[in-house]
Amino acid sequence: MISKTIQCPNCRNIIKINGDPGEKKLLLCSKCNQKGKYIFPSSDNIDDGEKKAIAILVKNLIKNYNGTNAVNNISFKVRKGEIFGFLGPNGAGKTTTIKSILGLVNVDSGLIKINDFDVADSGKNAKKFIGYLPERVAFYENLSAFQNLCFIAEMKKTSKDECKILIKEFGLSNAINKKVGAFSKGMVQRLGMARSLIGNPPILILDEPSGGLDPRGVVLIRSKIREMKKMGSTILVSSHILSEVQEICDRVCIINKGEIVAQDTVDGLRKTLNIKPKITIELEKLSENIIKSVKEVKGIEKIDIRDNNIDVICDSRIKARVIITIEKTGGKIINIHTKDPSLEEVFMKFTEGD
Amino acid sequence: MNSIFTISKKELLDNVRNKWIIILTIIFASLTLVVSYFGSIFTEGWQDLGITIQGMMSLVQLLIPIIALMLGYSAIIGEIEKGSMNSLLSLPVTRLEILLGKFIGLGSLLAITIIIGFGLAGIVIGFNVSDVDYAGYIIFIFATILIGLVFLVLALFLSTLFNKRSTAMGGAIFLWFFFNIILPIVFVGILAASSDIINIVNNAPDWYHILNLFNPLQVYSFLVTLNVGAALSLDNLSIAYPEYYSNILMTIILLFWIICFMILSYWRFNKRDI
Repeated sequence: MISKTIQCPNCRNIIKINGDPGEKKLLLCSKCNQKGKYIFPSSDNIDDGEKKAIAILVKNLIKNYNGTNAVNNISFKVRKGEIFGFLGPNGAGKTTTIKSILGLVNVDSGLIKINDFDVADSGKNAKKFIGYLPERVAFYENLSAFQNLCFIAEMKKTSKDECKILIKEFGLSNAINKKVGAFSKGMVQRLGMARSLIGNPPILILDEPSGGLDPRGVVLIRSKIREMKKMGSTILVSSHILSEVQEICDRVCIINKGEIVAQDTVDGLRKTLNIKPKITIELEKLSENIIKSVKEVKGIEKIDIRDNNIDVICDSRIKARVIITIEKTGGKIINIHTKDPSLEEVFMKFTEGD
Repeated sequence: MNSIFTISKKELLDNVRNKWIIILTIIFASLTLVVSYFGSIFTEGWQDLGITIQGMMSLVQLLIPIIALMLGYSAIIGEIEKGSMNSLLSLPVTRLEILLGKFIGLGSLLAITIIIGFGLAGIVIGFNVSDVDYAGYIIFIFATILIGLVFLVLALFLSTLFNKRSTAMGGAIFLWFFFNIILPIVFVGILAASSDIINIVNNAPDWYHILNLFNPLQVYSFLVTLNVGAALSLDNLSIAYPEYYSNILMTIILLFWIICFMILSYWRFNKRDI
């Protein structure tokens, strides 16, 4: 028997229900008579081995704000040691999901586990594993950079010496005793990243880690993320910089309008959407004859001509046929460049209509 | 427990860097000395601690609540608005520990400033007058800390109740007016409407004495006057309190306010999405 507390989406009244895994319960709010139903999640369907391999588990998460589901029944797993990209347009529910994982918001229903600790029941234990960089990094402005980090170190029961090392690593040694209120946005972001690494947490949750950083800062943060992965950390990154996500993430999850629309590796998502690569063929001299014969090749999605270049969007299997056709018509190829569809294109496809 | 201590230490440190602690201590000490030296119209120079307390009480009733309210109204909502609450709650700490840490930290700040400010002034006065009632003065300081804590916890409740710092500040100012001006006027108004106004001071009805216990500022004033009554009766206006008015009752009432609003603050903070 499972006990569950659900908030009425209409009047926010708390409704307590009991049921067995998989059981469907009809609900009636005692305050506003709103009717609804709730299906108790069936058992995790995750064996012990897999449980050990999962750092973050989100299952059937629902979060409602003023009658609207900001997050609507989403489920995903972040495996230990991977960098997991969490993407979505503005207002898609990314930050709400991250806040739910951290216990910052009271979820309406669903299960969230961090290293097998239920956030709802053992939030304090679950959060011991986490380092968090929020989208809007804020510090106690009257305290110095060192005092701010020491406060976190003390809360995490780790050595204060680590704070000095991290401040140095993020290039803030000169400002160690300066009040954070006098810091620039980039400095605050770097200090925020340093703060999230205090205690060497096995799980990092980074919400827009490159926000407000100059290119040098972006490179620094990116290399730090890679370093943390090498050390075995699990990293959940939410970012609008898709090139960054493509570069560092093992898997990505795209959320749109509170629902997960895709979840795979970037290559996997490309295959799902069947987005074809763009092949640029540079010729010594381009003739009308070559253009005509290339256009006749079956299976080409799009052709663009510029100077002595032909851009064709087609399947990799068609690529050979295009090359043979050009050579047969007397064209001399200087260079061939294949560009796979970017994560940006994948993202746009998945979130079409916004 | 360790987290509560760390948070309260941070609150204290934050306010020390903010110069609040120094400003408040100077205000308390100088006010006490000014009241003691210039406060009496009957005599010139330094006054006894009892007379000083008499002069200080109305000032404390105006000043301490507003200071405590200003210290506490943004403790939670301020951090939520700034964004630092996100980071704080992502640490292995419960919302109750955050609330208690903030209350203990800000409460210590208030207590330290009251003890140093009034204490220093008390020592100066003690050197300049004879027959000093130190016990009464210590009770006055204790009661002042207690009323400060009552208003601090009320401010914390406002901080968890409202979604904007500015609204919480408005609420804090309203509370100050409510307990200092509106509530006493309402009580006296009810009394005037229901009984003979001439005999109010000595023969106020029982229900009026009970009603007054609902205003923490009145309770504070009873707690002080019950202990330094001799000094306060110098102007021949001794107030007849009912027998059940006692130090313990007044202390319990003030503690009840603190505990009650701490529970309410926790309930509200726990329900809130950050």
